[in-house]
Amino acid sequence: MSVVALLEPDALDPQLELAELTESARGDGAIVTFVGLARPESREGNAVDAVVLDHHPTLTRQSLEDIAVACAERFDVSHVRVVHRCGTVPASEPIVFAGASSIHRRAAFDAADYLMDRLKTDAVFWKREVGDDGAQWIEPTEADLADRDRWG
Amino acid sequence: MRIRLYGRLADAIAPEIDLAADGWTVGEVRLRLAADHAAAAHSLARSRALIADRVVDDGQPVDESDELEFLPPVSGG
Repeated sequence: MSVVALLEPDALDPQLELAELTESARGDGAIVTFVGLARPESREGNAVDAVVLDHHPTLTRQSLEDIAVACAERFDVSHVRVVHRCGTVPASEPIVFAGASSIHRRAAFDAADYLMDRLKTDAVFWKREVGDDGAQWIEPTEADLADRDRWG
Repeated sequence: MRIRLYGRLADAIAPEIDLAADGWTVGEVRLRLAADHAAAAHSLARSRALIADRVVDDGQPVDESDELEFLPPVSGG
């Protein structure tokens, strides 16, 4: 069992993260991963040049760790890996990698789903989309909160 | 005392400010900031207050040595 939760100030390489998880997952039968990208367009349809993620000096890293550990305890998974960007993420570049491995696939699917629902609402970041129209702060939607609440 | 603000609060007010609030409660600090920065009042009302990385309620007294933080709703992913 391993749990990895990283705050990444520089570019996030999903292929590299998958390779790390695959290396850990020898003996497992499944890996499920999710990669979140910075959307190039806002909900209102405006062009977005970058997403900027402010973070807390201690609580952000702790929140990533707490979510990853809770995932490992909740599901029958062997390895959990979460890597989250902070700082400025250009549009269409990766913001987050969330993955899990398990002996059978269902646990890994559920774990990745859980990780993202928790990260959207509980990871300590303050996110804004920056474009020609200025900056727009982004907070969890009602749908995001409902997704998280599915897990009790 | 030192007050640290994050996200849209840092944007609307400042990342950190000093306020003479010895003997006040967290709630009184919150109200004072909202009165001084009307544009941030709604976000302040929805923010968690923390001292030493622990959530505190609005009845918590503060003193000059505390560092009080206000954290608006968070969003990752």
